[in-house]
Amino acid sequence: MATFTTASLRAAIARIAAHLEACADELNRLDGALGDGDLGVTMVRGARGLVEAAPKLPDDVGMAFLQCAQVFTKVSGSTYGTLLATGLMSAAKLAKGRAEIPTSEIADLLGAALEGMMKRGRGNLGDKTVLDALEAARAAAAGLDDPAALAVAVDDAVAGALERFRDQPAKQGRARIFGDKSIGLDDPGMVAFKRVVEALR
Amino acid sequence: MKKILNEPFSYVDEMLEGLCAAHPQHYRQAGEDGRVIARPGGAAPGKVGIVTGGGSGHLPVFTGYVGQGLLDACAIGDVFSSPNVEQMVEAIRQANGGAGVLCLFGNYGGDVMNFDMACEMAGLEDIPTKTVLVADDVASAGPAEREKRRGVAGMVYAFKMAGAKAAQMADLDEVARVAQKACDACRSIGVALTPCTVPAAGHPTFEIGEDEMEFGMGIHGEPGVWRGPIRPADVIAAEMLERILKDMPLGQGDRVTVLVNSLGATPPEELYIVYRYIARELAKLGVTIVMPLVGRYATSMEMAGLSLTVCKLDAELEALLQAPAECAFWRV
Repeated sequence: MATFTTASLRAAIARIAAHLEACADELNRLDGALGDGDLGVTMVRGARGLVEAAPKLPDDVGMAFLQCAQVFTKVSGSTYGTLLATGLMSAAKLAKGRAEIPTSEIADLLGAALEGMMKRGRGNLGDKTVLDALEAARAAAAGLDDPAALAVAVDDAVAGALERFRDQPAKQGRARIFGDKSIGLDDPGMVAFKRVVEALR
Repeated sequence: MKKILNEPFSYVDEMLEGLCAAHPQHYRQAGEDGRVIARPGGAAPGKVGIVTGGGSGHLPVFTGYVGQGLLDACAIGDVFSSPNVEQMVEAIRQANGGAGVLCLFGNYGGDVMNFDMACEMAGLEDIPTKTVLVADDVASAGPAEREKRRGVAGMVYAFKMAGAKAAQMADLDEVARVAQKACDACRSIGVALTPCTVPAAGHPTFEIGEDEMEFGMGIHGEPGVWRGPIRPADVIAAEMLERILKDMPLGQGDRVTVLVNSLGATPPEELYIVYRYIARELAKLGVTIVMPLVGRYATSMEMAGLSLTVCKLDAELEALLQAPAECAFWRV
């Protein structure tokens, strides 16, 4: 049975950070059209903070997630950074006290993150936000216990969510103010999440 | 952009450095990045701490109201941007004297979410917290959606009254009750004549014609109720008072305090012209004004315009309003 450990988390952080550095300009540009234009900066700062924290992450996967959450609370006051920190903290509570999480439980961790983020952001599924991307990832991960197959399924599902929501208007956050102008534009938060999961494929 | 600064990105940090250098008896910088202002003597043991936070660009709000009988600590973001969660947690730690901490701040999405997270993290450090949101701007939502209103100048009264209650060594529930009561008693509305410029952005937050005003505008330039040609002071004041009274009727025998506040560039002369009208009209209704404030109490950088806040008093709130307090910008 495959498991997720702090070592897996370190490997994931390295891949995500390298990929986000390459995507920063794209994310800033997307966010500039619908938000305040700092999403790429938030993600790169967060990724660099994670890389710095990685060697010292504890073996308890829950505590490791908690430290990752704290990285995001320090790098930015942006809504997206706080939402990611919230998701990591919710997953941390579920994983607390364990050094190995069965791959088949990753869907539960994603579900816990989703629930925490919905509550904190007062957001709903269908609003065209990162929550919709996360729900697609959770659904795709459910029942899978091979890490490689899970990574592919999650990335494909998030790509599908981007596709589905592209021609809908944003209903939440600053993008909402743009109303119908957001039709045809990808939600920057969903794209940022896509860049994270595609790094793990 | 025409501003006296060195680097747009060092604007807030250099401002805080100067603030603490000028008033070391009131303010001390704390936190890894210096973005927390706390009392110089640290938290008072056994006293409920009061924390606020928000973007820069509103002095004396938020930072300025750290002081005796007022706030214990403040987390400071960039101009018009929320502080981050870690800065808020540090402000909560700085204010914690062992009796818990009240987080009292304006109702803005980013600040609400970040304080929510900060309180959860403070809870992991065994610091109990309560949250009260200031939502006094009647232009930002109707009475049926009061909880969606933005927090503006009325927060000065919430800081003052909650601060006075905490200074009496009341417990966290009591301080939170008074803060909520003060917020519920306040109604505010603003008018803007010119925009302001966020240093890091470099251009004005909105455009407005030379002879136009915007009625009901928010302190970050959020759209108001209407925009049109500028009107005489008494006509502006009449509509402001009318909208506030529609939301909070006042009559014979009521006691209130009133704040006529400059958004930054509007001079005291014009504030007094408006105050004169408000005082006369409230007197006609048989309403007594206690301890009025006229000046710069909650600003929006160099925006021209003003806001009116009316806070309805009962015996408890009136006593708390008049209790001693001192910070660099206000002394009671």
